Amino acid sequence: MKSTEYNYDIVRSFVNWSVLWGLVAVLVGVIVSFQMVDPRLNFPPYLTFGRLRPIHTNAGIYGWGVGVIFATFIYMVQRLCRTPLWSPKLARFQLWFFNATIIASAVTLLMGYTTSKEYHEMEWPIDVMVVILWVVFALNIIMTIIKRREEHMYISLWYMMASLVGVAILYLVNAAAVPVSLFKSYSAFAGTNDANVHWWFGHNAVAMALTAPPLAMFYYFLPKSTGVPIYSHRLSIIAFWSLLFMYLWTGAHHLLWTPVPDWIQTLAMGFSVMLIAPSWGSVINGYLSMNGQWHQMRENYLVKYLILGITFYGLQTIQGPMQAIRTFSAFIHYTDWVPAHIHMGTMGWVSMICFASIYYLVPRIYGKKLFSIPLANLQFWLILVGQLTWSFSLWIAGVLQAGMWTAMNPDGSLTYTFMETMVEMYPYWWIRSIGGLIYFVGVVVFIYNLVMTVRHGEIASTEAAAEGRA
Amino acid sequence: MDLASILYLGVTFGLFVIFVLIVLRTYSKKRKDEGEIAKYRMLDDE
Ligand code: HEM
Ligand code: HEM
Repeated sequence: MKSTEYNYDIVRSFVNWSVLWGLVAVLVGVIVSFQMVDPRLNFPPYLTFGRLRPIHTNAGIYGWGVGVIFATFIYMVQRLCRTPLWSPKLARFQLWFFNATIIASAVTLLMGYTTSKEYHEMEWPIDVMVVILWVVFALNIIMTIIKRREEHMYISLWYMMASLVGVAILYLVNAAAVPVSLFKSYSAFAGTNDANVHWWFGHNAVAMALTAPPLAMFYYFLPKSTGVPIYSHRLSIIAFWSLLFMYLWTGAHHLLWTPVPDWIQTLAMGFSVMLIAPSWGSVINGYLSMNGQWHQMRENYLVKYLILGITFYGLQTIQGPMQAIRTFSAFIHYTDWVPAHIHMGTMGWVSMICFASIYYLVPRIYGKKLFSIPLANLQFWLILVGQLTWSFSLWIAGVLQAGMWTAMNPDGSLTYTFMETMVEMYPYWWIRSIGGLIYFVGVVVFIYNLVMTVRHGEIASTEAAAEGRA
Repeated sequence: MDLASILYLGVTFGLFVIFVLIVLRTYSKKRKDEGEIAKYRMLDDE
């Protein structure tokens, strides 16, 4: 089918808005990191760490991450199914409803309304909005798949469908609550059941929002960028089903050493370790797809982002299972090690893949050549250095913190007071903030490059624009 | 073992059996070529 029949208009809008929310997320991330090193930067009641932190996490995962999911899924589903989007009107509605939901979330969080469930902080009216949003999105993608003109379903479509169904189930179960007023509700679960459901949601949100969709993008944009197919489609299918099978049971690794029944914790631990296999199934498939193509790491900036992204995924999925082992968890849980893990995943894995996907998309959906490849390369180094600085400083801080918390005198009393351990954190938090700033500059360069491409980029047909990939 | 545990394990085992069947089907000799077609077709999706 001719590419002009695909609907790119809506992809453009989702790209633009997700980039904006990404900028907000990273900016607020930098602000909260500075609030940790200098508490005078807290301006109560609205601009405090407590209120801005959930704005950062939600803007990062739902504004940036999910925004890019909307853009790329709508693009990929049309191409992979060789058919235009089922309902562009519904997608347009979805765009504005998405922005309304993000804005409503930010406003209510700033006002201090929260369920206090991490990654699900928004109160019930916003839950209703999220459900409508997701149903509309899922319907459009699934209907497009149903009326497809391509018999063979590529692996990205499988990951997309898993994410659509998975997020719906997780969100609905975790959102079960009894509203008592417009902005207050109580969870339908209590005690350890509540914690268990919450982290079943929490970790599967990692699976269905921060793993399956970036994998769908990786499997699509890597071969598209290199021009050679992935190493093994069958391996990707096995890795897919085993990932789904194993992720479901791992949520309780967030609750090790808590009153949640021991056998649930052990099960979560076992399945977390087993998760290394399907995760590395994709990593190895990615690396083997580069057989004979490694020179493209030098010549093609998209490949650089994608391969570094999958490498961070590989590291993340070795570190994660380690953290899920009881003895290791006893050491690092509650310490700064954990945010370092998270940001290798979000700033490294997820965002690298999102940047690559957008760089791939923009020339094609706007029909313009990328404004500057050197700037794209510069951004690559800025975000890589920024992310590594961020994570390494906090890994070191986390180990130090854990060591100090557990240090004991011969008489069994604790060697350090809690305040003493906090004071030791400051140099590392400064370094983290600097890493964050470097990353932020990288994002600004990214946006500048995109704006210049759209405004002043050389006009080219979508196919010719693609030639500028090197 | 109470009924709930048997059910829990039963579901886990049931899912595992389904997974094994998927592996056997995907890697069956008969489907070797068919299983790889999609990766070539996606490259030419104009
Ligand atoms: C320059 C970039 C970034 C900076 C400076 C930054 C900074 C921060 C800071 C200071 C925290 C609080 C950590 C704490 O409570 O100890 C945090 C938490 C978090 N950030 Fe970021 N962040 C950045 C990028 C991102 C991105 C792009 C995402 C998502 C796509 C993200 C997702 C999260 C999440 C999920 C948490 C919660 C961590 C936890 O529960 O321990 N961050 N970030
Ligand atoms: C095999 C895969 C993975 C396993 C087994 C795993 C394991 C873990 C464990 C055990 C924790 C809890 C640490 C603690 O609080 O003591 C954790 C936290 C977290 N991980 Fe992973 N991880 C994996 C992959 C990922 C990926 C790919 C991401 C993507 C960004 C990610 C994002 C997070 C986030 C956001 C949290 C923080 C939850 C919180 O706020 O407490 N993880 N992970």
